[in-house]
Amino acid sequence: MDPFAAIKDTFFQECEEQLAELESGLLAMEGGDQDPETINAVFRAVHSIKGGAGAFQLEALIRFAHVFETALDEMRSGRLAASPEVLKTMLRAADILADLVTSARAGQEGEHAQQQQLSDELKAMSGAAGADEEEDWGDFEFQPMSVAVDVPEEAPSARAFKVRFKPRADLYAKANEAALLLRELVRLGDSQVELDTSEVPLLDAIDPEAAYLIWNVTVSGDTDELAIREVFEFVDGDCELDVEAQGGSGAGGGGLDIGALLARAQAEAGPLIETAPDDFDLTALLQAAGLPEAEPAPTPAPALAVVPPAPAAPPAPAAPATPAADASEGLAANQSRKTEAGATIRVDLDRVDRLIDLVGELVINQAVLAQRVMEAGLARASAVAMGLDELEQLTREIQDSVMAIRAQPVKSVFQRMPRLVREVAAMTGKPVRLVTEGEGTEVDKTVIERLADPLTHMIRNAIDHGLESPEKRAAAGKPAEGVVKLAAMHRSGRIVIEVSDDGGGINRERVKGIAIEKGLIAADATLSDEEIDNLIFMPGFSTAAEVSDISGRGVGMDVVRRSIQALGGRINITSKPGKGSTFTMSLPLTLAVLDGMVVSVEGQTLVAPITAIIETLQPKAEDVHSLGGHARVISIRGGFVPLIDVGMALGYRREPLPSSDGVALLIEGEGGARAALFVDAIQGQRQVVIKSLEANYRQVPGVAAATILGDGRVALILDIDTIVAVSRGEMRKAG
Amino acid sequence: MSMTVLTVDDSRTMREMLRLALADAGFRVVQAEDGIHGLEVLQAERPQVIVTDINMPRMDGFGFIEEVRGDPQHRAIPILVLTTESDAEKKNRARMAGATGWIVKPFNPDKLVDAIRRVAA
Repeated sequence: MDPFAAIKDTFFQECEEQLAELESGLLAMEGGDQDPETINAVFRAVHSIKGGAGAFQLEALIRFAHVFETALDEMRSGRLAASPEVLKTMLRAADILADLVTSARAGQEGEHAQQQQLSDELKAMSGAAGADEEEDWGDFEFQPMSVAVDVPEEAPSARAFKVRFKPRADLYAKANEAALLLRELVRLGDSQVELDTSEVPLLDAIDPEAAYLIWNVTVSGDTDELAIREVFEFVDGDCELDVEAQGGSGAGGGGLDIGALLARAQAEAGPLIETAPDDFDLTALLQAAGLPEAEPAPTPAPALAVVPPAPAAPPAPAAPATPAADASEGLAANQSRKTEAGATIRVDLDRVDRLIDLVGELVINQAVLAQRVMEAGLARASAVAMGLDELEQLTREIQDSVMAIRAQPVKSVFQRMPRLVREVAAMTGKPVRLVTEGEGTEVDKTVIERLADPLTHMIRNAIDHGLESPEKRAAAGKPAEGVVKLAAMHRSGRIVIEVSDDGGGINRERVKGIAIEKGLIAADATLSDEEIDNLIFMPGFSTAAEVSDISGRGVGMDVVRRSIQALGGRINITSKPGKGSTFTMSLPLTLAVLDGMVVSVEGQTLVAPITAIIETLQPKAEDVHSLGGHARVISIRGGFVPLIDVGMALGYRREPLPSSDGVALLIEGEGGARAALFVDAIQGQRQVVIKSLEANYRQVPGVAAATILGDGRVALILDIDTIVAVSRGEMRKAG
Repeated sequence: MSMTVLTVDDSRTMREMLRLALADAGFRVVQAEDGIHGLEVLQAERPQVIVTDINMPRMDGFGFIEEVRGDPQHRAIPILVLTTESDAEKKNRARMAGATGWIVKPFNPDKLVDAIRRVAA
């Protein structure tokens, strides 16, 4: 990658971080945070985005970031109060900024639909607060300017300039060096330098920190006053500088040279975009020009005496909370960030995945070795066997540690939700507060990435269907603002994520009615409350009549359930009428290993994911009923579930195993449908390393992946949902 | 030996841009993320020139410049501040704090190198 592209990449990565910082800062302020470092960090985030955007000439982004930054600056300086309304606008602005970053990243630089409106709102806020900054230059066209530096008001070539340069002590104190300035000056043309030592006192009166030397330089040739003054740009105000054109009228004439001022201001703006007219501080310039120099400045007065560094007060009514004062506070507040930054390295994901693969191999190898040793008949207490135990322990630890590298806090997906909540709240007209908990809970990166969609859907649902309208809430004696809570925690080796709302809870009558109407359940079915609640996960439950703009996008809760199950997870709902509903998802911490039930079928070893298994049972002959053909059902506690012969489903045998010769695994598949998988025998439970079958062979129906067992043999991991779906189809044909 | 330039900026993007421009011009570049980090790197690396941002967490550019100027060992190191055109006031504050010169962001690499050569031998 060329270095510029690499930096651009860095820029977009950094933008993501800045946007997250921006949002969390604004949310903290909304929650009452008044720490000046918070608003500073928020300002910095937008400022940095603007800075980087400037470097890459992302103009829509620059323009919006600038307006946003101006408003934040007003807030930072206390001129604009951080009222809830203002913060709401800022949050929306942050959303648009995020969108602009996304489009810029995709190379689609363009205006955002709401950009103009929000831009106007921000400007109105800034304008109302800072009356000094009246100029509305939001419509200012940002066009890369290439202002020629050598265009002063008159043709200057082949002229001579007499320069008198007298540094003050300040010049040296700021580490400027007269010699370097002179060196640069003489490069401009034929020069003659004279040193005037007349002000140097006698040795005993010399102050080593003071400045006594004066240089008189005559520069002739193809140069102009602007170029000469540019040499002394950094020392303006720290020296006496007279530039006099020889043998001509014009610039040397004294007075304020507005033309030169403008030319110079434009030249400073440079060929890059940053035109930022608010630097165009004419007041200050005029003030500076009108203000007599504190000391007997020889005429002509410097035409370009920009703001003298000392007291020339800035025109704005001053900025009380300026950074210098905040530095020490910020120091304490941010101490933790430093540690974070210092203790982090960035590593290519590929490298981590390779390491994980290798550790997987190691785990398998260790298991193979252990089995061989056992088979060799070595005593458990032998040194070799004990050494192997230690190896096993160590291997597990390595595996855990390596998995932890891929683990990330769920924060990265949680932090996308506040925006969603704002949008859905605005669309539904329901005031909503989002509460998040356990953002630091870590889980595998892949799991996090695949959580975004189901979470988005569930939060939409929670607001759209879960929360009541403000009127209904008021009638129920609840605060108008609904609360949606998103929480993550670790529980027995898995991550549990809850999405809850304090709405009206599931309307069971209605849910049951819909399910009957859709033919999902029999009209006379008797269901427990829990079973009714879980009906919403059934495929086909979500209906066109239900589709609203917000949550119903043709995606029902069955899709949510399926995506959670695809991650090896489970989802449940609990609901209390009038109090709200809670969706609880439990997911594995990693997708690289799986807790499996190892079973045998026709001499083959297979693995079923334990998460899908509810219980195992030995069928009694009288509980199994044939439906004709090979289709069978088993009666479990009064209900019938299909009994699926795994050997037949996978083509290992043509005739089903007699029901008394095997074991049934009661499983819960897609949509909560139950089935019993019939296998020959159970070998045990084991954590297995998942090997993709698609990557190594090809996709096989009914098989999710493969693993390598301790004896070195490959075992297939069952894709339970497919097996159940296929068997049901066959059963329907048979029945 | 090539001149060592210390760049102090909290933005990774800006640090990388500076590094690219400066390394291209033959400077050795050392980096810091904020003022406090800058003071640490300053002790260890002895740069001949410092280029610093102003708005940074923990210790901003003004504080950093004041610290450097207040340290007899380092007070003579030229310091250029990165500023935007719109920050006329900041530029002046930085100068009062002791900044040697300034560079306008987004910077032009040639101008940056020129500015450095203007303040350091």
